[in-house]
Amino acid sequence: MFESVLVANRGEIAVRVIRTLRRLGVRSIAVYSDADADAPHVRLADVAVRLGAGPAGDSYLSIERVLEALAATDARAVHPGYGFLSENADFARACAAAGVVFVGPPPEAIELLGDKVAAKRVAEQAGVPVLAGLQREDLDDEAILQFAREQPARLPLMVKATAGGGGRGMRIVRTLQELPQALAAARREAHAGFGDDSIFVERYVERARHIEVQLLADAHGTVLHLGERECSLQRRHQKVVEECPSPAVSPELRAQLGEASISLARAAGYVGAGTAEFILSADDMHEWFFLEVNARLQVEHPVTELATGLDLVEQQLIVASGAALQLTQSDVQISGHAIEARLCAEDPANDFLPSTGTLIGYREPAGDGVRVDSGVAEGSEITSHYDSLLAKLIVSGADRPEALGRLDEALARLRLLGLRTNAGFLRRLMLDEEVRQGRLDTGLIERTADAIAPPHAARRSAAVAVSSIELLQLHDRASERDPWDSLVGFRLDGAAPVTWELQSLDTDESLLVSIAGSPSGARATVDGEAVEVVARSLGRGRVAIALDGTAHDFEHATDGEQRWVADGPDAFAFRLVEPVSEHTEVAAAGSLEAPMPGTVLDVRVACGDTVCEGDVLVVMESMKMELTLVAPTDAVVLDALVAQGDGVKQGQRLVELEAVA
Amino acid sequence: MSIVLRSHADPASAEFAANAEAHAELARDLRRQWARVHAGGGEQAAERQRARGKLLPRERVDLLLDRGSPFLELSTLAAHGMYEDQSPGAGIITGVGRVHGREVMVICNDATVKGGSYFPMTARKHTRAQEIALQNRLPCVYLVDSGGGYLPLQDELFPDVRGFGQSFYNQANMSAEGIPQVAAVLGSCTAGGAYVPAMCDENVIVREQGTIFLGGPPLVKAATGEEVSAEELGGGELHTRVSGVADHLAADDRDALAILRSIIATLPTRAGVPWERRPSEPPAVDPATLTGAVPADIRTPYDPREIIARIADGSRFHEFKAGYGATLVCGFAHLHGHSVGILANQGVIFSSSALKGAHFIEMCDQREIPLVFLQNITGFMVGPDAEAGGIAKDGAKMIAAVSVARVPKLTVIVGGSFGAGNYGMCGRPYFPRFLWMWPNARISVMGGDQAANVLTMVGREKDPERIEQNKAAIREQYERQGHPYYASARLWDDGVIDPLSTRDVLGLAISACANAPLAARRKPVFRM
Repeated sequence: MFESVLVANRGEIAVRVIRTLRRLGVRSIAVYSDADADAPHVRLADVAVRLGAGPAGDSYLSIERVLEALAATDARAVHPGYGFLSENADFARACAAAGVVFVGPPPEAIELLGDKVAAKRVAEQAGVPVLAGLQREDLDDEAILQFAREQPARLPLMVKATAGGGGRGMRIVRTLQELPQALAAARREAHAGFGDDSIFVERYVERARHIEVQLLADAHGTVLHLGERECSLQRRHQKVVEECPSPAVSPELRAQLGEASISLARAAGYVGAGTAEFILSADDMHEWFFLEVNARLQVEHPVTELATGLDLVEQQLIVASGAALQLTQSDVQISGHAIEARLCAEDPANDFLPSTGTLIGYREPAGDGVRVDSGVAEGSEITSHYDSLLAKLIVSGADRPEALGRLDEALARLRLLGLRTNAGFLRRLMLDEEVRQGRLDTGLIERTADAIAPPHAARRSAAVAVSSIELLQLHDRASERDPWDSLVGFRLDGAAPVTWELQSLDTDESLLVSIAGSPSGARATVDGEAVEVVARSLGRGRVAIALDGTAHDFEHATDGEQRWVADGPDAFAFRLVEPVSEHTEVAAAGSLEAPMPGTVLDVRVACGDTVCEGDVLVVMESMKMELTLVAPTDAVVLDALVAQGDGVKQGQRLVELEAVA
Repeated sequence: MSIVLRSHADPASAEFAANAEAHAELARDLRRQWARVHAGGGEQAAERQRARGKLLPRERVDLLLDRGSPFLELSTLAAHGMYEDQSPGAGIITGVGRVHGREVMVICNDATVKGGSYFPMTARKHTRAQEIALQNRLPCVYLVDSGGGYLPLQDELFPDVRGFGQSFYNQANMSAEGIPQVAAVLGSCTAGGAYVPAMCDENVIVREQGTIFLGGPPLVKAATGEEVSAEELGGGELHTRVSGVADHLAADDRDALAILRSIIATLPTRAGVPWERRPSEPPAVDPATLTGAVPADIRTPYDPREIIARIADGSRFHEFKAGYGATLVCGFAHLHGHSVGILANQGVIFSSSALKGAHFIEMCDQREIPLVFLQNITGFMVGPDAEAGGIAKDGAKMIAAVSVARVPKLTVIVGGSFGAGNYGMCGRPYFPRFLWMWPNARISVMGGDQAANVLTMVGREKDPERIEQNKAAIREQYERQGHPYYASARLWDDGVIDPLSTRDVLGLAISACANAPLAARRKPVFRM
């Protein structure tokens, strides 16, 4: 085993790799950008080295910087995680040249498998079914059109970027007419995304399940498969939820897929941990095709770990150190069921656009069969420098229903405040009947619009919770203090209700919440509906609130005027509206007057002109000073009352204006 | 060191239940009267106010105050039973509330009541609020929306002290004392009313709603024949841009109140509390049992420690001279954390009680401890023994001590307030900073029965039947004029309160008093 390993990554995967290093007694070396100076992976590692500025190009993607860090720390090996430099053959070679072991496949295998066209050729040669398609270097549009015209049964077609990934440069084409346009668009995106506009086409399976096989190969000729993962719950080709085993894969199919994957790995000269991806037709389980091999540790590897009991990072290190795997295929047993859900900083209500902000409240679930691989902590700043993955919730159970139950429970106990996340969406998605039944396909998420937003009643309850928390604070602040603090809402005829105006940051709607009584027993009114409230603080950022007798456990946090609460994976954000004058000086309508006596030098407007706030209307001279008089608001000129050379008195009307709304 | 008082009332007794029910009935009636005042000029008038885009006066007060702030309303029943009940609450709302953490005196016209006109009692209520503000150094916030003086009663309103005119004198003098005067003009400010904002340090006016002028458009037309709109004559644009009568132009009520809050945020905050204050704790004896423990009928004697046990922090009471002059209970306690000296009656005042009271008041004044009087007094002892014992000079000592004490004095009339006992126990003429009455209390120069007897004795009537008739008439007069509503209507007190709120009302008031530093101690000649 290595004495020290540098983890050339960030976020949850860096944390996860460092955990194994610590467990194995290997000195862990983290690297970080300025944006991550205080990140959990930095705090967890034995040593941390700054790479550079926030942008990945200056830090995690910079081969030069990482090599410097390797040299500076005398690291024996480098674990690249996933993304960044994990599938960069140049980096792997540079490491070898520097005498550092790259924990991953040989550069040649990376190159071979990184080229999707070449990879597919390898598969075909190894006798693995592939989707009918056209793939070669310098493939032009005419050849693709020809390919489609030859056999209409080849439709629908998928157009993909050769250098692509993550859904960019992908197009599905169902008719010949759409094809030319789709090809052009795919090339544009491929060029913009990867600097390479080469594309290929292959048959597209309408209702597809994404199944992938975990591989493990050592340098001594052992190649094992660790069963499959199903990653059919995808959004725009981005995996959202993964599980092991797949509810669609029979032992026979598992063996077939495993064998196919092993022969592929052998053909590619693969060493290390990797993943062979396949698609299955959801309508015909016997129809499956090879997609590609990912020459790295996958994001979703933990489900395999929970189902097999193996630590894949440890296995990677064993292989990288040159040792032989201490396993045989028969040692690999899949037991129980594991599911992973990816928590991302993205806004489901806003087309899942990435969100940024400070994680002002964060509570991870814990319990039997629950594992959280997280790269964030309370206070983490989520920037747009890196991908949106915050953490992964991985659960295992004796069977799929138990795992689903635990995932639901774990999501229910998760609290993320301060930025939009997909956590609430994930919980609703996993309650979908097709998902529960295991009838998955890659288009399922696009069809489950109901899961997108929390119900309106939940937002209303959240508004009541925010107000109850404010009320608690009024009373808390009050304890042992002056009666003007402690007698909240005092009136001679009994305490008056306290009212808050809360503006939802998600929907822009304004909610007026009025609470009568004390936190130990109060009645809240919101939207004309009454609800009985009992609130009790549970200490820092947590409060127990019963709404009409139903207990809730709210996490809450404050960011200026913003109030965040969550009693489950959905976080609700409101702006507390305070009485603030927004009209410090109400714009004067009517006319423009001379502020001083003087002489008009220039009149720049005429009757009927439309002017904007700040436009110069009149220039005059007074006390040897030149004054420019501007429009106080957007307006129409009704009349210009003076002309160049006129002498004017203080307060004399110069221009008549009519404000426009 | 202090004794924790225990209650001797039996919550299971019929007497307890009867007491509680009698007080509850009085409290229910009090709430009915409050509700009537809170409704102002009624639903139609409120609708008219809303239709003009204006908030109702109590909405304005709520929006001005900090969220959750207490509002210690004053003189709610002013003008009760007067002016044919045309002026609920005398058409004005006054009280102490918090704005940006500062206790301020709010004086808010209710334009739903006769257009916010000043009846004589309106001016009394307005100037009483100013008097409290002056004594306790509370910034004054005027929410102005008034048509000015109620002309049919100008004789009672205009010429005398505590009339409308004095309110401007008060503004200038408070400003001179460094007590900020700020106003929002949310409606009319006509004639004398124009001086309310004009005499303020800083003010706000709502555009196309607030107007300030000495003579309104009709008066101008009559005087000079000019036809001019109210907005042209004295609107917000004019006063903030041309005349300089107003300082800030607001778009509407909410905007004006937000600007007012912003102004108040610039005022200095109060210095420390001039007396000892510790963390507050609730009474050990449940305050909710107060009305069961204390009879509502003022003729039934009871131990005032039953009240003290339910208003003092932890029910702790360090009693002074418990065995001497036992008809006046004196001792130290804390109330909502504030150190207080409490004086409470348990019967008629003897020479010994008066001497003890004078001694205790002197001590509190020297030690800078505010005084709380729980007044339930039929008077000083009479008779040859008492006179020979020098009750007059001993009573004089107590009255003198009360008169010159510089510490805040707060009085609650919890029972009878008759004769010179009212003086010794810091009645209204002794300028307590605040004075409240319980609904079962009575106030008059002597009790109704006593007055009936005295008056028939000194009268010439010999016919027993006529004597009884006369007695009944006198008793009826004393009962009517001695009633707390009658007293409150005429501003003899600062309000009738539910006995159950006594602790909180006192706590808020003492804390408000803490805004004013203590004056230097003074001493009169005590007749020895």
